[in-house]
Amino acid sequence: MPIVVNLDVMMAKRKISSGELAEKIGISPANLSILKTGKAKAIRFSTMEAICKALECQPGDILEYQSNQD
Amino acid sequence: MWNGEKSIILSKLCVLLFMALLIAVVVTAPWLTQWFVEFSQAGLEEKAAYFMATIYVGFIPAAYLLFSLLKLLRQIEIGQVFIPKNVELLRRISWSCFVGAGIALFSLLYYFPWFFLAVAAAFMGLIVRVVKNVVAQAVELKDEADYIV
Repeated sequence: MPIVVNLDVMMAKRKISSGELAEKIGISPANLSILKTGKAKAIRFSTMEAICKALECQPGDILEYQSNQD
Repeated sequence: MWNGEKSIILSKLCVLLFMALLIAVVVTAPWLTQWFVEFSQAGLEEKAAYFMATIYVGFIPAAYLLFSLLKLLRQIEIGQVFIPKNVELLRRISWSCFVGAGIALFSLLYYFPWFFLAVAAAFMGLIVRVVKNVVAQAVELKDEADYIV
């Protein structure tokens, strides 16, 4: 999929663990793992808002569009 | 207090009851057929063997249907409702109905009232097929919903 989730990069920058982030944004670690591994088919605005708030970043820092044409 | 769990138990009991009835019909088929041809007084004495053949052949899809139904109820009981396995079970149940309808249709050759059973079985198969299509769509929706974070 051309949409890449850079959540792990932002988490590393903010030095926050998966468990801690999951607790802060109020989703299960399993769902956070789905998001991190790029298996998610959609993300709720409320989840995105919580992630941006917890990691002090913009949605564009989390999601990135990569064209298939190289 | 009546609840979903008790409802499933009741459904399972009904399926088991039908299984017992089916076995009873197959075991007592020779006597049942004899009684029927004598009771009907429609000159069916020489067709008793055909009736028995229909009962024995019809036993296969009927048993398969009831077994699949029981498996489906077990899945629902453990909370596994919208899963591909249930779609497959519903598909099997539907086809069992159609096979039963086919057998009844073939039995028309010697006894016309089988026609009503054929129509009823085919209609039942159609209903189950539509339910199967609905559940298949629900499985897809659930699969998608599971990956919305």
